[in-house]
Amino acid sequence: MHVLESNDFVVTSEIGPPRGADKTLVLERTRLVMDYCDAINITDNIRGIPSMSSATCAHFVLDAGAEPIMQMSTRDRNRISIQSELYSAYALGIRNILFITGDHTLLGSHPEAKTVYDIDSIQALGLASHLMGGTDLAGDKLEGTPEFFLGSTFNPYADPLELHVIRAEKKRDAGAKFFQTQAIFDTARLETFMDKAADLKLRVLAGITPLKGPIMANFMNKSVPGIKIPEEVIKRLEAAGRGLKGEKKREATRAEGLLIATEVIRAVRRIKGIHGVHLMGIDWEESIPEIVKSAGLYPRPEVR
Amino acid sequence: MIVMNLKSKEKILEMLDGYNRIVLFGDSGCAQLCDVGGILQLEDMEDFLTKNGKEVLGSVFVEGGICDERALKKEIEEKRAIIDKADAFLVQACGVATQNLSEILPEKESFPATDSKFLGTMPERFYHKERCAMCGECILDLTAGICPIARCSKGILNGPCGGSMDGRCERDADTECVWQLIFDRLKKLDKLDNISRIWEIRDWRPAQSPRNIIHTPSE
Repeated sequence: MHVLESNDFVVTSEIGPPRGADKTLVLERTRLVMDYCDAINITDNIRGIPSMSSATCAHFVLDAGAEPIMQMSTRDRNRISIQSELYSAYALGIRNILFITGDHTLLGSHPEAKTVYDIDSIQALGLASHLMGGTDLAGDKLEGTPEFFLGSTFNPYADPLELHVIRAEKKRDAGAKFFQTQAIFDTARLETFMDKAADLKLRVLAGITPLKGPIMANFMNKSVPGIKIPEEVIKRLEAAGRGLKGEKKREATRAEGLLIATEVIRAVRRIKGIHGVHLMGIDWEESIPEIVKSAGLYPRPEVR
Repeated sequence: MIVMNLKSKEKILEMLDGYNRIVLFGDSGCAQLCDVGGILQLEDMEDFLTKNGKEVLGSVFVEGGICDERALKKEIEEKRAIIDKADAFLVQACGVATQNLSEILPEKESFPATDSKFLGTMPERFYHKERCAMCGECILDLTAGICPIARCSKGILNGPCGGSMDGRCERDADTECVWQLIFDRLKKLDKLDNISRIWEIRDWRPAQSPRNIIHTPSE
């Protein structure tokens, strides 16, 4: 059975690829989180900021002895490039592919770029499913047929909710076997989403992001698409650091951020249809072990 | 209409550097509607260039559009005297217009006074909104008459993406999420089925430039 199909509460963790050519960073980040999760998710040029390719990083994750989930955005590649990259990924031993449409380049460090968006994430799932049938998009027989375990995302905070539930169904029908969500803070909206999507029988990993402090929270609300961090959460982070200075303030604020993340994990575990959590320690992978431990999710079950 | 902006004054002078006798081109179509190449803007340009040491010999104003080659040639013939004396032409119309002049009058250079931006509508004077991407195969019958290709910042066909919040696009808060608009209207029309099914990967060949069309006159 696939690790993500386990009946245990699943934990996946995201690591950011290096924004440069140092592969040791991939190994370091992998070693930091691998014992605390069941699979490691590698982002794909998130926010349009160039970083080491997700396929290459996934390959290094495999080398380190962990299970990679390779993210693929349709923002920067057309259908030819997507097919090519999927062959390469499979050849490198990568089995889990997660498709996203990709944040708009205007939000990142290279806003001048020409975006591609030849196909969207739903069409990419369909394309990967098609390849598993042994032919490419043109109908030509493949020299080696890949087999993938496909996933995708949904954002319960996005509007219109009803249409996003329909999109999750489309993604499932196009081949998505699991979903991870945008970072969850207010769990009510996720609950509503899961309730409306109950008949779809989706396997969902709720996204969890520890906040380092109010500055990060405000930045994310402003600059990260699809994020909605409630005012109460920001106030809690501010209150935690109030009256403190320097390292003490930093520590207190971060501790509160970790506590909030742990509380969200507890809350989402109670939501029907949530099969696990997807931890996104954005530029703060060091926080992952502590979150997993304090949420009572450590040790992870042996590889099944 | 083709929506365009006048280039900056500095850029226009830079393009015309070394050319002294100028003839201006404008039209009563898109150029006039966009306030870049109507009669008034031709006059403004003449004043501006004269102040900057150029000699403006006159202007050619085409009723309709400079894109209509027959109309353009007729106007050129009428203004043959100034055309022959000119060092260069400044075209206060779209990129089609500048290219038409480059082809019809190849001995002299035609310079674009505008940047052509998009195909759009004009809710009021000086205000334009993009509406069509000229993708070559219209899908408005299925999307409640609202185009996701031109108006979704990612041009996706199974939208919206996860960045759509409160009816706004993730790219910038001033942009509406077109998928919210499509959803709302299809719901009213009781046609949500149109977007509940998976839209397959699209054939983009009809959108690939350069394109030509020869119409067959109807019988």
